[in-house]
Amino acid sequence: MSNKEAALDIKYRANGFISKLYALRKIIKKKKYIPKTLAYLFLGAGALVMITPFLWMVGTSLKSLHEVFVFPPTLFGEELRWENYLRISDRFPFFQFFLNSLRITVIVVISQVLTSSMAGFTFARLRFKFRDHLFALYLATMMVPVHVTLIPNFILMRHLGLMNTHAALILPALVTAFGTFLMRQFFLTIPAALEDAAKIDGCTPFGVYWRIFLPLSKPAIATLSVFVFMGMWNQFLQPLIFLNTKENMTLPLGLAFTQGFFSTDWPVLMAGTVLSLLPVIVAFLLAQDFFIRGVTLSGLKGE
Amino acid sequence: MVMFKKNKLMTGIVVVLVVLGLVFGGIILTRPPIEPEDVAAEPVVEEPVVEDPAEEPVEEEITLHFVGWEASPLETESVQKGLDSFMTQNPNITVEYMPVPHAEYETKLITSMAGGAAADVFFVGTELYRSLHLKGQLLDITEYFEAELELDYFIPSAASIMVINDRIYGVSSCTVSPILFYNRDIFDKAGLPYPPKNPDEAWTWNEFLEVAKQLTIVEGGETKQFGAFGFENPAWPYMKIAMFLSNEGDVFNEDFTETTMNTPEVKEVLQAVFDLRQKYGASPEALVLEHLGMSPSHMLQTGRVAMLIDGSWALQELAQMDFPVGIGVLPKFERAVTHGQAHLHSAWIDTPNPYEAWRLISFLSSEEYQLDLIRSGLWMPNRTALYTEEGIARWFNPDVHPEGFMDVIPFIRDAVAYPFAFNVRPATMDIIAEELGAFFNGGKPLDETLTDIESRVNEELAREQ
Amino acid sequence: MRRINFNRILYSDTTWAFILLLPNFLGFMIFLMVPMVVSFGMSFVSWDLFGPVRWVGLGNYIELFFEDQVFRRVFWNTLYFTAVTVPISIVLSLLLALAMDQKIIGIRFFRVAYFMPVISSMIAVAIVWQWIYNPEFGLLNYILGLIGIEGQSWLSDVFLAMPAIIVVAIWQGLGFNMLLFLAGLQGISEIYYEAAEVDGAGWFQKFWNITIPLLAPTTFFILVMAVIGALQAFDAVYLMTAGGPARATSVLAHYLFQNAFQYFRMGYASAIAYVLFFLVLSFTLIQLRRQRAWFL
Repeated sequence: MSNKEAALDIKYRANGFISKLYALRKIIKKKKYIPKTLAYLFLGAGALVMITPFLWMVGTSLKSLHEVFVFPPTLFGEELRWENYLRISDRFPFFQFFLNSLRITVIVVISQVLTSSMAGFTFARLRFKFRDHLFALYLATMMVPVHVTLIPNFILMRHLGLMNTHAALILPALVTAFGTFLMRQFFLTIPAALEDAAKIDGCTPFGVYWRIFLPLSKPAIATLSVFVFMGMWNQFLQPLIFLNTKENMTLPLGLAFTQGFFSTDWPVLMAGTVLSLLPVIVAFLLAQDFFIRGVTLSGLKGE
Repeated sequence: MVMFKKNKLMTGIVVVLVVLGLVFGGIILTRPPIEPEDVAAEPVVEEPVVEDPAEEPVEEEITLHFVGWEASPLETESVQKGLDSFMTQNPNITVEYMPVPHAEYETKLITSMAGGAAADVFFVGTELYRSLHLKGQLLDITEYFEAELELDYFIPSAASIMVINDRIYGVSSCTVSPILFYNRDIFDKAGLPYPPKNPDEAWTWNEFLEVAKQLTIVEGGETKQFGAFGFENPAWPYMKIAMFLSNEGDVFNEDFTETTMNTPEVKEVLQAVFDLRQKYGASPEALVLEHLGMSPSHMLQTGRVAMLIDGSWALQELAQMDFPVGIGVLPKFERAVTHGQAHLHSAWIDTPNPYEAWRLISFLSSEEYQLDLIRSGLWMPNRTALYTEEGIARWFNPDVHPEGFMDVIPFIRDAVAYPFAFNVRPATMDIIAEELGAFFNGGKPLDETLTDIESRVNEELAREQ
Repeated sequence: MRRINFNRILYSDTTWAFILLLPNFLGFMIFLMVPMVVSFGMSFVSWDLFGPVRWVGLGNYIELFFEDQVFRRVFWNTLYFTAVTVPISIVLSLLLALAMDQKIIGIRFFRVAYFMPVISSMIAVAIVWQWIYNPEFGLLNYILGLIGIEGQSWLSDVFLAMPAIIVVAIWQGLGFNMLLFLAGLQGISEIYYEAAEVDGAGWFQKFWNITIPLLAPTTFFILVMAVIGALQAFDAVYLMTAGGPARATSVLAHYLFQNAFQYFRMGYASAIAYVLFFLVLSFTLIQLRRQRAWFL
């Protein structure tokens, strides 16, 4: 099967690391780096450290305020106060903030996936003048700290009259150098054979992109989507700076707002935190398989 | 290695971009900063508004955006209640109140102003008041003020803070001061007399220290009960400043161009506060951050500390805590004094509804609005009329105000204006907090700390713009 | 192999390159390149957000490097933070990835567990860890107490605050790095290991001579991303300690933020931003030179 040979060929020729990420053959290994039991212990201990704070979060969300600060620390209170979850809305309009976050995040994810895949394809497969210079420039900007662009963006938004709008958060995030890079690396691993076959059948470069590369890139898209979703959903600094009114604010701000100056309603705050984590966890769980695949391999046959 | 081979081209591009940037930067920044007419603000007005304060306003539907920080959920409730009352009295005005967490408040206020999208009326902390005025962001409400009120109506500390160069840009609704709280049960158990309530009978620092030592109980190498807590909150020298003043020291000189912290008076205070914990073990480690867990009030309630030095606002929470809390005046060095201040309510210079904004500010500083929050213990009045016998009777609440509170009232009324209210450099507070932090928690010698404070603060105050 | 078509425009690479790249490029220019360049220009002025702009030439930079002791402190803090966070995180995540790479029961559970800190918002993380570090009621001091170590005021102690934040940063980033390492590991062909086994190599030799070298590009990428992230860290500091106590945890990004949005010094903040940028740039270039593994 020429495809499989082509695949193996790519694999051994690939010299970049990301191409390894998308290695074409799934290999289940029993590498025996360390004895298995040790591995279990290690992983288990680590997992415990990772999870414990979240367990406490959930437990506290069901306590009453005076049960929070007790010594020795307890996981749960006397009774499970599920009403804490309802009281979140007393502190801030949870649903509104949730929708705002969702709206912003979804728009950004879609936009970034589209623009990154288009640009990634362009850099990976199309030849034009200055291509490599331009790509190098893109790479360089990945190193620019967010704060460098924050202030000028702030000024720009002000001049455009977009302060306190979602546009102020969405516009700077429509495009990403990181996403472009990711997609490009992925596209590099798709064998030229496929592309050539398509061209012989009379495809324009756009057709190659749309009909061949894009469908094949589901794992990479899943990966990118999860990263972007995570980033935008949890973004704190930009919403803090750009949003002013309750109608517009996002979930991270809502959580921050539950903290009073002198006293904080901790159980309600925890309830809000738990709720705000759920979407990202769900997104991760759903995309987990794609996501892992996307990071480690890509099936030649797409689906 | 693409990046390194095409050096010349890249250099060329970089140079072009740099030049562009300087040009761009210049153009963008030299345009007038705020053009509110171009800015799509929130839907504030539905119909044009009359701007002349002397004219009777036409009854149109106006929405005011009001922003503040939340000291506690209880306070937000009270504020909202007050606002409901205001809206009933002014049916054409709707007030949308949004509390912002205190930690983010300053940033939020400044960025919203810089972004041309600030609220109509907002809290202004005393430390930021004069800075914001300097930046031209506060509406001059002097005319409105003089039409309805007089400066004499307000206690001296509040009045002096509100006035900048004989004009008024904000009005405060209350005052708060550092004060001493104590747990009566602990004193009863130890058989010690309660802390004095009358400023004339205030304890000297040494008397205070003695009591604190006696009330510190150590069992099995662990301190079960501390004598006192609250002076040492290095991130915020609020409580200590009262002691500076008490010792005839101060943070700044008369015209606020230099710091006077490097003086023996201030040094004495800092050393005494430090010794309270370090030498005598009578005070626990300070909890640096406000929302780090248990509030100082809980510590008093549970008997972890016998005496708590905190702002008078803590009374609201303490009174709800179901334990016999007492209140007293602060110990003194040379004279019994505390400082007073409170956030002001100001209007944004570019608010489309200055008259309505004033109506709100006026309401917020009215006796009617204050009373509820004073009764809850969160605030103390800033109106002289509320300090007369009849005045006090209007807000005194036996459920909240502890025994002997009547004697403490003059202490707060006669408070000195909080020095930081007159400072215009926000960075100053951070510098002092940082240095004091190094002293209290980082082992930095006191002399060095004070000299560094002096040089750094003076440098900051002298810096242009 | 490319067939030359009649309709050269329709099938030309350049045309489509232009079209496909345009949206991305536009966004890139407007919201990335131009702001970068404007920021550069702004670092030469003094501006308080409301008043006029004043040209100061190199004044900001001179003040930063020669007169501002906070900057020095903050610069050092940033380096300290990065130098500790990155190596520990990389080593730990590599070990975790090695462990995860075997056939483990419940691997899905482990994956979710390790990824939860990564996907959590910084606010949630800050709140939870503030409790963990609480001197009176926190989990950490409780556990330490059980094994007889005295509890400390982690976030209030001038010397312990930064390590405390570092732990949180590592905690949050482990899952991500682990995943990337996993990917890299699974890209190493079985053949190498089989060959080595034939030659009688033990597990350590396999690890040292095959895994590590072949993992180099992955490691390089993770290293670069981790360093870039650590140098710019802001949220954790701002939310957990506000730079305190006594500036012990204040990093460059935090000082930048304060100058821009609290001290009315936009120009100065831009100068700090560019120092940060050059810091990131130099680290990356150094890495590039050393690795000579250009990931193109």
